[in-house]
Amino acid sequence: MLGRKAARPAGDAGGEALRLEGVRRVYGPEGNQVVALDGVSLSLPVGSFTAVMGPSGSGKSTLLQCAAGLDRPTAGRVFVDGAELAGGSEAALTKFRRQRIGFVFQQFNLLPTLTVMQNVTLPLKLAGRKVDRRRAQEVLERVGLGDRLDHLPSELSGGQQQRVAIARALVTEPRVVFGDEPTGALDTRSARAVLALLQEAVRVYGQTVVMVTHDPVAAAHADAVLYLADGRIVGYQQAPTAETVAERMTHLADEVERQRITAGV
Amino acid sequence: MFGLAMRSLRKRAGAFGASFLSMFLGATILMAFASMLDTATGDGVTGTARETLVTMASVVGGWGLILVVFAVTSTLTLSVRQRAAEMALLKSVGATPAQIGRMIVGEAAGVAVAAGLLAIVPAALAGRGIVGLLHDTGQVPADVPHAFGPIAVSMGLGITFVSATAAALITARRAARVRVAESMADAAAEKTRLSRKRIAGGALCLLLATYAAVLTCTLMKGKGTDAMASAGQADIAAAIGFAFLAPAIIRGVTALLAAPLRAFGAAGDLAVTTLRRRTGAMSAAVTPIILFTGTAVGTLYLQATENAATDAAGLSKTADQKGVETLNLVVIGMVVVFTAIMLVNTLLAATAHRRREFAQARLTGATPGQVLGTVALESAVLTVIGVACGTVASVFTIVPFGIARMDSPTPDGSVWIFIGVVALAVVLTGATTLGSARRAVRVPAVEAVAA
Ligand SMILES: Nc1ncnc2c1ncn2[C@@H]1O[C@H](COP(=O)(O)OP(=O)(O)OP(=O)(O)O)[C@@H](O)[C@H]1O
Ligand SMILES: [Mg+2]
Repeated sequence: MLGRKAARPAGDAGGEALRLEGVRRVYGPEGNQVVALDGVSLSLPVGSFTAVMGPSGSGKSTLLQCAAGLDRPTAGRVFVDGAELAGGSEAALTKFRRQRIGFVFQQFNLLPTLTVMQNVTLPLKLAGRKVDRRRAQEVLERVGLGDRLDHLPSELSGGQQQRVAIARALVTEPRVVFGDEPTGALDTRSARAVLALLQEAVRVYGQTVVMVTHDPVAAAHADAVLYLADGRIVGYQQAPTAETVAERMTHLADEVERQRITAGV
Repeated sequence: MFGLAMRSLRKRAGAFGASFLSMFLGATILMAFASMLDTATGDGVTGTARETLVTMASVVGGWGLILVVFAVTSTLTLSVRQRAAEMALLKSVGATPAQIGRMIVGEAAGVAVAAGLLAIVPAALAGRGIVGLLHDTGQVPADVPHAFGPIAVSMGLGITFVSATAAALITARRAARVRVAESMADAAAEKTRLSRKRIAGGALCLLLATYAAVLTCTLMKGKGTDAMASAGQADIAAAIGFAFLAPAIIRGVTALLAAPLRAFGAAGDLAVTTLRRRTGAMSAAVTPIILFTGTAVGTLYLQATENAATDAAGLSKTADQKGVETLNLVVIGMVVVFTAIMLVNTLLAATAHRRREFAQARLTGATPGQVLGTVALESAVLTVIGVACGTVASVFTIVPFGIARMDSPTPDGSVWIFIGVVALAVVLTGATTLGSARRAVRVPAVEAVAA
């Protein structure tokens, strides 16, 4: 495949889109704590497409939320597009996200009272940026919904809603786009369309995409796969294919199971 | 299904808080006044004393009843509407409409029984207080003790139970009729047309209000204090009428205010779309504002005019008349406090429910400040609508009563009464909505969205 760029788990700062340094995230009160992330460090270059995989509960969503500034790590540092994630108020964090980050969820999280067009232009309005309807329309055409501008989310299929969510994430031209199981609620065909859009964001527009998925076929659309287990990075694979990913996931699951048994958990 | 209802009650205690509170307060007021009837049946209660007690129970209790039934219905409707998605989910896993209906009615009945039983003690105390006032004014001889007996308990529990179940039946029918796919979508976007039932209810109430108003300034003219009864009901009927028509009013006003609201940027934009597309929820929020303003302004000026009429008659106030005035103010106070609590209660429930929506806006890039700005603009519009409708409703009481008592349509009493009521409405609405919204945005957005 053309234009595939290598992602490195750690390393040089040149053209670095995302860096995590020793990120820990602990949930729950003292005495009843769950360590969701146990010191994760990684570095992803600009223009890379990385899939994050791991068993359920391994900390994938937590990792993504910490990296995207939706959650604050208990310890460690996060850099997006060269800038350290602001540790200030919620408003400061929001402003940081607006400029650099797009996010796509499994549940599309479109505002139900807004039309497709209003949903897509909302991030621009909120940021006080000029609302270029033509550009928004272009983005919506890119995701194949140029003719549904005035529909409400409830009038669209799941796949269509997810494409609106992607258009909304792309319209601000963020440096990094995060997706938490963006294809998790979709059928194979809609999923493929969504993955193609994410690939296009990387290949054509040079954006960086990080996507959590449980689906080896979806992971194979990425340039590289990060494997997570029990809050730690346990593997890294370049040029993944659906078969190799599926195989590795099976091993990983077995291994985690074995470790848990020997640890007496 | 009853088991499911009880489990659902236990798990979502918060969601039922608003309904519970309205039933509890309603039952308290109903039983307090119904205990006048118990007192009247006591040995040795005769003549005017008996009459006073019965009038007290039927007139005051009568319009209290309307208010309470309406409050219970509207909070119950709100809580069922807020659970549209849950209902759809239950249906999708195989619950039949009848099962859903039984669940909703079962929940409402359970809450009503609990609220009614808990209301017995405060109602007995309030009833004793009212009889104490009647003793002081000499309307009831001091040797007639307050009795809290079978009439109070059966009426209080009965009416609370019946109105709650009836309201639940109506809401349940509507919730159960829609198909699964439809109601999943409905959970997101609601129909915006005014239903025929609302038009009919609104028209009926406004007709009743007009009837009471006309009656006051024709038949009741020159009948003195008796005009208070018919005049006092007019504003309540009119306020409920406007509440029925609230969706249409909100849409109209939003259309008018859209341009100035948009000048506030993204927050204004969001406020306009919410007002437009969520008219059902917005109507639920504006209803208590209308009721509060309408009843408070109406009854306070009613009393002011009554005072002026007594003065004008050249009579210096006797101790009795002072006592009657105090009694009236106590009753008015109860009604005003009830509607004020309903206002806070309803707005708290309505705003807390929007946690997910707020979180979605934040994930799209709204700062907490922008979310709060949107809420502030919305509640400003709702306050304007509520205060305006309430003021118009109060006119149904004030003008006819002025004509009946003083031959003048303008009320007596300082303009400060009006300003005070409006200020209270503004403060209660603003503080409740913003306080509740602030609490909602304090939860991390990703968590609120997942919940
Ligand atoms: N808000 C929370 N409070 C307490 N524990 C939490 C919270 N969120 C996540 N956890 C715990 O942190 C760990 C990691 O959760 P996370 O959601 O990141 O897993 P995941 O890899 O995304 O799983 P899945 O594939 O099922 O989505 C889990 O053990 C989970 O129970
Ligand atoms: Mg997850």
